[in-house]
Amino acid sequence: MATEFHNLQELRHSASLANKVFLQRDYSDGTTCRFQTKFPSELESRIERPLFEDTVKRLNTYYAEAEKMGGQSYLEGCLACATAYLIFLCMETRYEKVLKKIGRYIQEQNEKIYAPRGLLITDPIERGMRVIEISIYEDRGSSGSCSGSSSTSGSSAR
Amino acid sequence: MPGSSKSGGAGGLPSPPHTASPSRPLRPSRYVPVSAATAFLVGSTTLFFCFTCPWLSEQFSVVVPIYNGVTFLFVLANFCMATFMDPGIFPRADEDEDKEDDFRAPLYKTVEIRGIQVRMKWCSTCRFYRPPRCSHCSVCDNCVEDFDHHCPWVNNCIGRRNYRHFFLFLLSLTVHIMGVFGFGLLYVLYHTQQLDTVHSAVTMAVMCVAGLFFIPVAGLTGFHMVLVARGRTTNEQVTGKFRGGVNPFTNGCWKNVSHVLCSSQAPRSLSLFVHHRCLWIYSMLIVYIWLYYYPLKQCVELQSSLHSKSSLEMMESQSCDAEPPPPPKPELRYPGLSRGHQEQHTEESSLLSKAPPTPTMYKYRPTYSSPGKNHTALTHAYANQSSQQPGFRSEPSLDGREAPGERGGGGLGGGGDRPGGGGSVGGAPGSGGGGIPGYSLGGRSYPSFSDPTVLSSGGGASRSSSVRSGSAHNAAHISEATTSTSYKSLANQTPPPRNGSLSYDSLLTPSESPDFESAAPDMSPGRHRTPAPPPVLGYSSPYLSAQLSQQRDAELHQPSASSVALLSSPHRAHYLRVTSSSSPPPPPERERLLQESHSHSHHSHSHSSRPPRFSRPPLLSDSAAPHHYPYRTRSTDTPLAPSTHPPRSPHPPPLGKSLSYSSAAAAEMQYRMVRKASASAGGGGGGGGGIQAPKDEIQMKLLSRTNGQPRSSLSSSGSTPSSPSHPISMSTRPGQAYPSPGNTQSPAHKLGGGVKKVTGVGGTTYEISV
Repeated sequence: MATEFHNLQELRHSASLANKVFLQRDYSDGTTCRFQTKFPSELESRIERPLFEDTVKRLNTYYAEAEKMGGQSYLEGCLACATAYLIFLCMETRYEKVLKKIGRYIQEQNEKIYAPRGLLITDPIERGMRVIEISIYEDRGSSGSCSGSSSTSGSSAR
Repeated sequence: MPGSSKSGGAGGLPSPPHTASPSRPLRPSRYVPVSAATAFLVGSTTLFFCFTCPWLSEQFSVVVPIYNGVTFLFVLANFCMATFMDPGIFPRADEDEDKEDDFRAPLYKTVEIRGIQVRMKWCSTCRFYRPPRCSHCSVCDNCVEDFDHHCPWVNNCIGRRNYRHFFLFLLSLTVHIMGVFGFGLLYVLYHTQQLDTVHSAVTMAVMCVAGLFFIPVAGLTGFHMVLVARGRTTNEQVTGKFRGGVNPFTNGCWKNVSHVLCSSQAPRSLSLFVHHRCLWIYSMLIVYIWLYYYPLKQCVELQSSLHSKSSLEMMESQSCDAEPPPPPKPELRYPGLSRGHQEQHTEESSLLSKAPPTPTMYKYRPTYSSPGKNHTALTHAYANQSSQQPGFRSEPSLDGREAPGERGGGGLGGGGDRPGGGGSVGGAPGSGGGGIPGYSLGGRSYPSFSDPTVLSSGGGASRSSSVRSGSAHNAAHISEATTSTSYKSLANQTPPPRNGSLSYDSLLTPSESPDFESAAPDMSPGRHRTPAPPPVLGYSSPYLSAQLSQQRDAELHQPSASSVALLSSPHRAHYLRVTSSSSPPPPPERERLLQESHSHSHHSHSHSSRPPRFSRPPLLSDSAAPHHYPYRTRSTDTPLAPSTHPPRSPHPPPLGKSLSYSSAAAAEMQYRMVRKASASAGGGGGGGGGIQAPKDEIQMKLLSRTNGQPRSSLSSSGSTPSSPSHPISMSTRPGQAYPSPGNTQSPAHKLGGGVKKVTGVGGTTYEISV
């Protein structure tokens, strides 16, 4: 069932964590950071597929942009070498800048799309960029069978 | 980073401070190669510059030493980066992640990369399937991304993040050795008639060293040049993974080289970053408190003790009764956490960008000013029998008041502090709006603490927002309210044991009402409700002490600082004594939480106390690993988790221990000084012992040991403070034993034991006791 939450605070206050879905990395093109856009079955009743895929694709483009080897990263490397890497104390690397952008994007997606549906996306950087964790919350008030334990299967989320 | 990975170590369950991480014993032999390499490099080059370069610069050109200097600088920079940089450690997977994999889950998972099947092996230590090119380093006990090898000469794994630095180090070292050898040879050739001089002898010695190291270094450099060109790692080359086969990870020679040299620096996982920042902040706090506040306090207390002794006695009696207010209600805390979470983002990014040295202190400074006012008021109140007793009230309530006043304060302990601290630190990189909290201890309390917007906002914050704001206004209001209440209660009743235990309860039961009057009946039930809070409290105490120190500092600057200090010191001492006895495991708790907050290297955790619960000694897990079965042996891990307390990093325990012992000695000394100063009053002892209110709870804890002496002297003197303190310590000491085992198990039971874990924006997980 779709639970409505007005904001993330409400989500946290009244919801209990029912399940977590992990989106694995897509290694089909090597070790560059890409995530699978396969739609998990646990989210079928929670969110529309295009929205979800759009989010993941957008994230993938951001990560590709971060890892792109272009003029900026080359100059950054040269500058770092020239300053004996002291420049890193003052300057943010290109990757970090993109990560901030990704963080903001995830936050925005959470607030606009996922939290109203009782979902929460965790930034993959917290997991070492291995997985995207999507937490599924159940409304405590509406569902008595929800379980706060993450060990329950996805069926409890419904 | 090697240090961090070592310290991250085994972290899972909190273990007592004395227990070293079983799976990560301190091995000094690990440091021999890196020390030797450093010594040779720096020593030889220094000799070269001192003995050979002067003549060369005179004879040929000044460019010679400059060139050698630049080369040497480059070598050093890359050497340091290769040594200290995180190679790309994967944090331990949260236990949620493998819930869908049961005993029948396979040991290997196959993935297709550019048409080639690559196997991903299940790592039983880190609890995930290792990504391609990732390998688990047994020395560092971490899974490292794009694992190349573990280099003993830099005592660090070489992985994705620092391979470039390692490669450049090798290149530059080769060039440097060639330069040193060449210029040394030039010197010798020009001084063939003066080879018996010191300069020539040293030059020849340096040439020998250079020549000796040139062959292996050049060989290794050549080897890695080939690897880079082929797009392979040492691990893959040595294990022969692509022997005769196709390497799916190569993009062509030119792209491989540019990837190594020109790609942007890969990020490190937030949890590791949080850990370092936590440790750094924490250690800075400790240092700051010790170096700055201790002498100040001593002076102030001496001053105050020499002042009106009668007022001191009166204040002491009050202090015995007026215990810190219990921490705020959880409902109040909760919204604060939520709100603080939003503030995380801005403050996270700002925190990371400007690396504030002591954010926590900054946060508590405004709060602290209120006690100053309160103390002043108290003096007058007592004299005039007014209902206003903020000063006195606030004094002991420094610890407890943090919770009501700030929500994230000490009373909140793990709930508030952890989310605040971890989040700000960890979330900075991607925080923007994503609120990446990283791994904090338990929840990420750092943002709540160090949010600059909140800190600066100060007043006007609601109770909930005071968690992060630490506003002086809030604190003042709350403390005034509570103090007035407490004053009434003090006037009405004075059963010392009850009041004494109040402080214990208020410390241990953050969920109790901050109302002082209600604190009295809450005593005994509160004490029994402490199973969950004690760890939280234990964690918060260092920050409490930081807060106290901050407040003390602000207080000292108040107009009536001296009188305030006079009043405050005895109370605080008494309060501290009680709290010390009542808070047994602050160091281990703090360490545990510190451990939790950071490293994946050894903890399998994500944001909360789960990691400590989760991780086990890797030796056990690896030995039980699916070597004999094709499936992951998950069961072997779980039962071990609670029983075998995963080793934690040795770093926090030593810090805490050393501080505690030294602080105990200092506290005792101070106590004795105060005692002497107020010998006639006899009441000085009550406050004398362990006066260091701002010091950590570790000090408080050890104050309990010193209590034996002060208490005995107190009881012998028959002063009023002795009676409350005596039963207090008696009542709290047995309680001391209780939280210790509870602490170790609390992470495992935290979720079930009245503590709610809620994941906030960006995955920040807060543990909120309900």
